[in-house]
Amino acid sequence: MSEGDKARVTHFGYQKVPVEEKARRVREVFRSVAGKYDLMNDLMSFGIHRAWKFFTVLLAQIRPGQRVLDLAGGTGDLAARIVPRVGPEGEVVLADINEAMLAVGRERLTDMGLVGNVRYVQANAEALPFPDDHFDRVTIAFGLRNVTDKDAALRSMYRVLKPGGELLVLEFSKPRLPGLRPLYDLYSFTALPVMGRLVAGDADSYRYLAESIRVHPDQDTLLAMMESAGFERCRYHNLSGGIVALHRGFKL
Amino acid sequence: MDPKLLDILVCPICKGPLHYDKERQELICKADRLAYPIRDDIPVMLEDEARQLEPDEYSE
Repeated sequence: MSEGDKARVTHFGYQKVPVEEKARRVREVFRSVAGKYDLMNDLMSFGIHRAWKFFTVLLAQIRPGQRVLDLAGGTGDLAARIVPRVGPEGEVVLADINEAMLAVGRERLTDMGLVGNVRYVQANAEALPFPDDHFDRVTIAFGLRNVTDKDAALRSMYRVLKPGGELLVLEFSKPRLPGLRPLYDLYSFTALPVMGRLVAGDADSYRYLAESIRVHPDQDTLLAMMESAGFERCRYHNLSGGIVALHRGFKL
Repeated sequence: MDPKLLDILVCPICKGPLHYDKERQELICKADRLAYPIRDDIPVMLEDEARQLEPDEYSE
């Protein structure tokens, strides 16, 4: 590794950390919040995250027999909606870089009776351990933000998709409704850390959440990143005034 | 570990095939001389969690 590489830094929320340190820091955040993750999502978004995920799975138009990779799928929220759709002939792979989140996801899906067509892998989105042209869909909900090298991750997702396959990225984005921004800022930088402290016993992780949303690429930047990774017919849908956006792109 | 998962997993670095060591619960990539651990039935396909193979493990 050259000196130049050693000095490379990346965002960890508003802090700058060495590139090689980000994955570990993100892992600590999610190890800390894994047990309370689903409850916190409901509280923080007033339950609206369920609608965002419902919309994502609806647009994915998953059919029986298909293979779906749910990346950064953590506690299995999206996978729980996808597994019944692929049916016994299909296959869902739930992958996450964090073993604590995966363990929660496996327990939850198993408790729901979702077994047999769902598998679990600890993996880094930048270097996916799957063959070329394998999946019909790749989904990643609220995960891309935490990846160190997003361009490498998008290329890796492109590689494992079959020709004709589609990537769906659900992620926080930039609010587009006038007047929403100041309210949203006030909420995320004041209320979120307090809720994080009271419910999950961890204000810092939720401060990271608010900061990481602000430094994540906006709608058009992410769209351009998908196009440079090779995706075609890319487009996005703003949800809740752009607080969240669903990006889609095809491998053709 | 889920046998169907064995069919689809490849080395995250070279995308080459993996060899399953049932006894040690590891997935071996001879090309990269790495052994990926399987913990609690979940394969850990992360380079920084993999064990470097000893010379006698990759020379046959």
